[in-house]
Amino acid sequence: MPEPAHILVAEDEVLAAMAMEDFLQRKGYRVTLAPDGLAALERYRNDPADLVITDLRMPRMDGRALVRELRGLDAALPLLVVTGFLSIEPGQDDLTSPAWKPLEILRKPVSPQVILDTVQRLMATRPAA
Amino acid sequence: MFGGLEAFFDSSGFIPHGVCLLWKPEILALHIGSDVLIGLSYYSIPIALVYVVLKRRDVAFSWIFWLFAAFILACGTTHFFSVWTLWTPEYGLEGVVKGVTAVASVLTAIALWLLMPRLLALPSPAQMAEANDALQREIEVRRQAEQRYASFFNNLAEGLFVVTVLPDGRFAFDTLNPAHARATGIDPDTIRGRLVSEVLPSETAQAVIGRYAACVAAGGPIDYEETLDLPVGRRVWHTVLVPVRDGGGAIVQLLGSARDITERKKFQEELVQTSKLATLGTLAAGMAHEMSQPLNIIRIWSENALSRLRDGDTDTARLDKVLTIVADQTERMGKIIDHMRTFSRRDGGGMQMFDPAASVRAAVDLVANQFALENIAVDAEIETGETVVRGRPLQLEQVLVNLLSNAHDAIVERRAADGEGPPAGGRIEVRVRRGGSPGTALISVTDDGGGIDPDVLPRIFDPFFTTKEVGKGSGLGLSIGYGIIDAMNGRIEAANVDHGDGRHGVRFTITLPVSHSSASEMERTHA
Repeated sequence: MPEPAHILVAEDEVLAAMAMEDFLQRKGYRVTLAPDGLAALERYRNDPADLVITDLRMPRMDGRALVRELRGLDAALPLLVVTGFLSIEPGQDDLTSPAWKPLEILRKPVSPQVILDTVQRLMATRPAA
Repeated sequence: MFGGLEAFFDSSGFIPHGVCLLWKPEILALHIGSDVLIGLSYYSIPIALVYVVLKRRDVAFSWIFWLFAAFILACGTTHFFSVWTLWTPEYGLEGVVKGVTAVASVLTAIALWLLMPRLLALPSPAQMAEANDALQREIEVRRQAEQRYASFFNNLAEGLFVVTVLPDGRFAFDTLNPAHARATGIDPDTIRGRLVSEVLPSETAQAVIGRYAACVAAGGPIDYEETLDLPVGRRVWHTVLVPVRDGGGAIVQLLGSARDITERKKFQEELVQTSKLATLGTLAAGMAHEMSQPLNIIRIWSENALSRLRDGDTDTARLDKVLTIVADQTERMGKIIDHMRTFSRRDGGGMQMFDPAASVRAAVDLVANQFALENIAVDAEIETGETVVRGRPLQLEQVLVNLLSNAHDAIVERRAADGEGPPAGGRIEVRVRRGGSPGTALISVTDDGGGIDPDVLPRIFDPFFTTKEVGKGSGLGLSIGYGIIDAMNGRIEAANVDHGDGRHGVRFTITLPVSHSSASEMERTHA
């Protein structure tokens, strides 16, 4: 039996994080939670994940900074941004740019099924370890 | 020496006076003719004098006329005696008559000299005529002036009214001009001379009497806005009262001018509402984000629960937890919606007493989350306490939201101008505290958005003035804010600030007078 894929979830809304942990675990993933970008980066360094799900607005270090840091560590790491933002402000990093791939953006409120589908699609871009 | 009264009048020893004239007929005739004519004339003059005095009761010093009459009558009598003594030598009796005449003459002469200065002071008919003319001219000038003022009073479009301040301190209506009669629907004839408290409905009377008393207490002009229920309906007035004093300095009247500003107020409210909705538009993205958080939690938890249920997991403890979370999150959304609703509500109510800190707190709460998304921190230090100001709480909140929104835009713009590189943060400081001068509250909003061009600074409160790109700002936000603060008798100022660490920005400071409201005013607010 292969080791389950590891997903790191950076989300400051505890209830949202717990709900994601619940359904991802039920689908057989190993899940680590982090309440902000800085904590997420630290946990990733200690225990690298196969995929990172992140919110954009978080205390201490926001999602954009986390994405930049993680991309610096691993150019091929699948990233899933889940945000309540309507649009990406000009003058800031355009996360929709192909330069950030593999990266997908989902808008809150989002269905768990859509998150699962997207996670699976992103995982497929990465050759199994 | 004297031989008694009888001897005095005894004429037996005398010869008639005609003997002295040797009974020459021509001499006698001349004497007799002259004396009789003089006597008759002298008798007619006093009659004339007495006649004048009796007819003209207004004649000055009438007693001297009587004196003259007596003296001349006596003189006339002496002349008749001169004729009489030509034949009968009653020189004793004639002497008595002369003596009486002498007394009357001397008294008259003395009286005349004593009276001289006062007689000279009497105006001559010419002087009287001149004075009369002057008086006539004066009357004409005054008549014209009165006509002119009556014409102003009757024809000015401005509503004018006059209130009498009675000695006991109560107020009665004197009159109001036709313009004010039309505007208020009050007939001047029905209120003239009547007590204010008798003419107006008690609530309205109470309100206006309060203003009249304030004007008397102030001792000078006062100027205010008031909403009154009148025969024409509920109208808003801008009224100026001016006290009028009598010679002794006591206030005896109040002159009032009133302008119906109901339409203007309505228009201002419309403008305020429009500006508020525009502000809401700029906040929409932040609101959407706020709403997406609880909605996201509800969706994931409920779909997870549904999926477990379908897999046959009927753990009621878990379902209980999920439904509790859903309920909590809908409550959270409800609060966000409530705040939006409150803010967007048309604020048509009257002025009221409120704590400005609460409005500032509400404004900060409205924007803080959205700003945090863009890495703009709102640092609020708000002293809540007994400070109470007079105005409309939602309008003050609107002013604050507008200032915060401007601060946000300035920071975003400054960051865009800073160019590439990681987006720097931004910081907005909000402070509410007691003013340096007693009786004031200070609210300040300070950003680090780079500041405003000093040339532009004096114009930022002008309507339609904007430094934002076309389509980004109406240019009305600050001018409407200025109007709102002005209506609260406060002021709003802007100044560039140097934070000392390389950051520059603008500080907006609102100074509001702290109210010491009377109980009656509180009552009226809540009525």
